[in-house]
Amino acid sequence: MKYNILFGGKAGQGSNTLTHILAETLAEQGYYVFYYRDYMSLIRGGHSFNILTFSDKPVHSHESKYEIIVALDENTINLHKKDLKKKGVLIQGKYPNMYFAGRMYKSLGLSFKLLDKKLKGLARYKENLIEAKKGYSEEKNNFNIKKVPKLIRKFSSGSVAVADGAIKSGINNYFAYPMTPATAVLVELAQKQKQNGHLVLELENEIAVANAGAGCAITGAKTMVGTSGGGFCLMTEALSMCGIAKIPLVFYLAQRAGPASGVATYTAQADLHLARHSGHGEFSRVVLAPGDPVEAEELTSQVFYLTQKYGIPGILISDKHLAESYFTTEKNPVITKVGHLTKFGRYNSYEQDSKTGSGTEDAVIVKKNVEERKKIGERLRKECEKFDGFKIYGKKNSKNCVIFWGSTKGAVLDVISGLDICAIQILYVEPFPLRVQKILEGKEKIVAVENNSTGQLCDLIREKTGILIKDKILRYDARPFLCDELEKELRGKF
Amino acid sequence: MTTKKQPLETGTTMTWCPGCFNYQILAGVKNYFEKELSNGKKKEDFAICAGIGCQGKMFDYINLNGLNTLHGREIPTSLGMKMGNPNLDVYCFIGDGGCYNEGVSHLIHAARENVDMTCVVHNNQVFALTVGQPTGVTEQGFTDKTTPEGVSVKPFNPLKLVMSSNATFVARVFADMKQIEWVLSEAKKHNGFKFIEVIQPCIIFHPDKGYKEQLKEIPKTHDVTNFDKAMKLASEWDYNGVKKGDKIYTGIFYKEKRSTIIGKHWQLKELVKKKKCWGDRE
Repeated sequence: MKYNILFGGKAGQGSNTLTHILAETLAEQGYYVFYYRDYMSLIRGGHSFNILTFSDKPVHSHESKYEIIVALDENTINLHKKDLKKKGVLIQGKYPNMYFAGRMYKSLGLSFKLLDKKLKGLARYKENLIEAKKGYSEEKNNFNIKKVPKLIRKFSSGSVAVADGAIKSGINNYFAYPMTPATAVLVELAQKQKQNGHLVLELENEIAVANAGAGCAITGAKTMVGTSGGGFCLMTEALSMCGIAKIPLVFYLAQRAGPASGVATYTAQADLHLARHSGHGEFSRVVLAPGDPVEAEELTSQVFYLTQKYGIPGILISDKHLAESYFTTEKNPVITKVGHLTKFGRYNSYEQDSKTGSGTEDAVIVKKNVEERKKIGERLRKECEKFDGFKIYGKKNSKNCVIFWGSTKGAVLDVISGLDICAIQILYVEPFPLRVQKILEGKEKIVAVENNSTGQLCDLIREKTGILIKDKILRYDARPFLCDELEKELRGKF
Repeated sequence: MTTKKQPLETGTTMTWCPGCFNYQILAGVKNYFEKELSNGKKKEDFAICAGIGCQGKMFDYINLNGLNTLHGREIPTSLGMKMGNPNLDVYCFIGDGGCYNEGVSHLIHAARENVDMTCVVHNNQVFALTVGQPTGVTEQGFTDKTTPEGVSVKPFNPLKLVMSSNATFVARVFADMKQIEWVLSEAKKHNGFKFIEVIQPCIIFHPDKGYKEQLKEIPKTHDVTNFDKAMKLASEWDYNGVKKGDKIYTGIFYKEKRSTIIGKHWQLKELVKKKKCWGDRE
């Protein structure tokens, strides 16, 4: 049993809220739920939609055809009716969003009590209740949804998970400047200040953010800064300073489609090289790429741990698709704890004479410093072997291999079940898990799946292992991979 | 005669030009810190930040904790240190290139937010360490290899800029040891963003153009809480060279009591109250 439901309307009509409460209720009833959010860079009007997928089996992605379309406006019908499945149902009318909530809860066999509980968490309770009751009573459809055992699973987005991971890692300060799709972490952390006691500050620009982050981190406070590609570009000089001055600053980089302003509210995985190579000069760093909310929480804690322990900058690289999609989680994250290891002292953006803390131009000291930084990188690489630098899914011994990173995980996982494919996910971009080389060498065919136009993961693997991956399924229209479309493409490859 | 060990010395060789006015500023700053230390303060109570340029070497010559940061980023770096440990007394040394060119946005916002820190601007009206290019406060007609036709536009008035940005402590002094020491001890009495501009000739690239003749102490009768009067005093010199009749006022132009960035965040207030840093909360 698997349902794909599209909710569409103008921005401001509330199709996202409608999706979210229904998705939460379904998750609370024990279903596996995923929803994708598609919206334009505007505040009122336009067209925005969500695709909610739920099932009695794990789901991590959405599809291009729908069992149900809920249209809050005419435009939704015009744009999406062609993708309604043969026996699909179109629910439409000029009603507010909670009227449709009433109808959906009824047709999916969910009690009104469950809906009422959600309405109580929203503004305008009285008005919403009237609409919801009307919708609930008027609904005639009954989809006879299979009941499932009530298992409590956390329902979370990548952004919520990053914020939770940071809190569990003992974050003290978060600095940011708003930028989609990183803003959701800023919102989460700002909202949770009261309860957790950390501090969130919005500063005048990303340059201020990164430099304040560096200043803050050297005093011993656990510090993170967050942005998307454009803002990250402004932060890279400070990143370089963290490299030379041994400053444990955590950078949250939520990718969106670039270059430059690109496609502001849509997704891409085109900043892998940026994360790896940003900042001038040579220095060690960690770059970790989670593929779902559980990994987002785990890797956030690992980036805090590694940056504190080795006095290096760390980058947690996510994207719009992971940051703003919601998932039911299948296991509890394992948090790697670390204390406040950084001691305040004399730090320098110049090469530093360790005796005085002052800058130096002395050739002997410079060489020694460079070598020390290299050694940190080597120790870091060794330690990282204890973490899952890569993961294997599907038929481990299959000669057919799919390789991917980050948010493409969702679609890949949903496609490979039942196919003769071994899927490998790279989570540690830097330091790269070299052990993956042997496994890749044992495969007859390797296909990379990436949300960019060049195959940046393939470049990384070529650089680190010498293995050349020629088969690539690349998507670069600023949209994420969809399960059914990817399946077709993968079947064509194997 | 035995020399007393100077707790603030780093032992780093000084590389400013002989006769540079930075020696005056450094001496004043060190005198101030030494007085503070002898009055019971510990070195750990202070944090310093400097950037790139001749003033940046202040970091090398004062043995206090902190960060010699990137060019123009002295203010946000200092803000970060304050947020990381609000019990630190933070001093930021910055040049006119860093403060008025590269990082001018930070100046405006730190003043507006009333960030608890002392910001000392070494204003020699020139990029000196890069061998003499004009900054945003260099006078019209100034020439160098990169500006052979000369600077064609007027400098802006930094004092008026910070006051318009709601700074709560605005002072200007000349690069003289005694004046520096005095202004720092005055700034100490104030809570919030303390903006101190130091007028400083660069003996190589922007020598004294007659500042000394035009310097004038702000009259004792000046009401430092009067914004309009403070703006008027600041307008008496437009930084556009020094002409006869210019009045380069020195002293405290403006002071205002206003809640600081610490006062706006209960998390920071709690750390200050308990004299703790973030790591102590675990």
